Amino acid sequence: MAIELHPLEQFTIARIVPIHIGGLDLSYTNAALVMTIAVVLVTVLTVVATRSAALVPGRWQSVAEMLYEFVADMVDTNIGHGERRFFPFVFTLFTFILFANLLGMIPYSYTTTSQIIVTFALAAVVFILVTTVGIVRHGFHFLSLFVPHGVPKLLLLLLVPIELLSYLIRPFTLSIRLFANMLAGHTMLAIFAGFAASLGILALFPTAINAMLIALEFLVAVLQAYVFAILTCLYLGEAIQLH
Amino acid sequence: MSEEPSDALKRLGERIDKARAEHVPRQPVAVDRSALQSGLGLGFRIGIELVVAIAVATALGWAIDRWLGTKPWGMIVLFFLGVAAGMLNVYRAVTGINVPVGYRRLGGDEVAGQMAKDDWDDDEN
Repeated sequence: MAIELHPLEQFTIARIVPIHIGGLDLSYTNAALVMTIAVVLVTVLTVVATRSAALVPGRWQSVAEMLYEFVADMVDTNIGHGERRFFPFVFTLFTFILFANLLGMIPYSYTTTSQIIVTFALAAVVFILVTTVGIVRHGFHFLSLFVPHGVPKLLLLLLVPIELLSYLIRPFTLSIRLFANMLAGHTMLAIFAGFAASLGILALFPTAINAMLIALEFLVAVLQAYVFAILTCLYLGEAIQLH
Repeated sequence: MSEEPSDALKRLGERIDKARAEHVPRQPVAVDRSALQSGLGLGFRIGIELVVAIAVATALGWAIDRWLGTKPWGMIVLFFLGVAAGMLNVYRAVTGINVPVGYRRLGGDEVAGQMAKDDWDDDEN
């Protein structure tokens, strides 16, 4: 009466449209499909909802405006006033991760942000952008970011490599935080659902826990999108302000 | 019912302005920090900061060893540097995410040092 349980099966990549070009597997997969849906949904929400913009916003227009103001606030307080030029980047990043996380909450859907390569690609873009912005704005002076201020010269030999390392580690922590949260949450849901499937009448307990976990997962989905976006803002602000 | 539509619009505009004025003074920074530091998120963040720093630094040391043939020194040195960088990141995550790389927030200490120096000068006189 053993039921086979595969809590990790939900993360399998399946090819929908196989494409092979020059030895590279460029197939359109289920992960790519969900990402496309996320992009389309964000675009539809922001374009269609504001196309018939009214002075008194309708339901969808208010959602789009709330999203806009939320991100605008985040950009203003964390990057600095007058740095709205980074708003489109942060808004795209935040809404994409938010929608990808939330689409993953739909049963039989796929959580793209549970793939490390997806989150790492996003984090690498952030890292390259922050470094480029810092160098463009400050030139060689950008390197002073790694030199702590008011420290004996001898100690700098030790502290500069530590600062450099903690800077280089950022794309990894940024991507692993999002990936690990989504992977752990969804695996946990599947494991408790597995208990429920194999316990018969006692299934009530794991089901109750799962109901609470799902609420928690929705919180995590939104919170992690927010954390990713706000850390991006903080990193950008640091590279720009550089006292 | 007898009032002009532009009157109604004007009053609506005044109400929006008032609501906006009330909205602005709220400090978004405080909201941000409380949301980020909410128990679970912070705990997860700290664990990841420490583990990832050590893992990435050690892997980097291993790669340097392979490249330069300095086995095992690169890995040993970078392991300890990774521990230090991880601790530093955890410290920053706990004390507030706004502390930049390079302790520039500790400007207060500098002022104190300056004052102490002035005292020394006075003693010499």
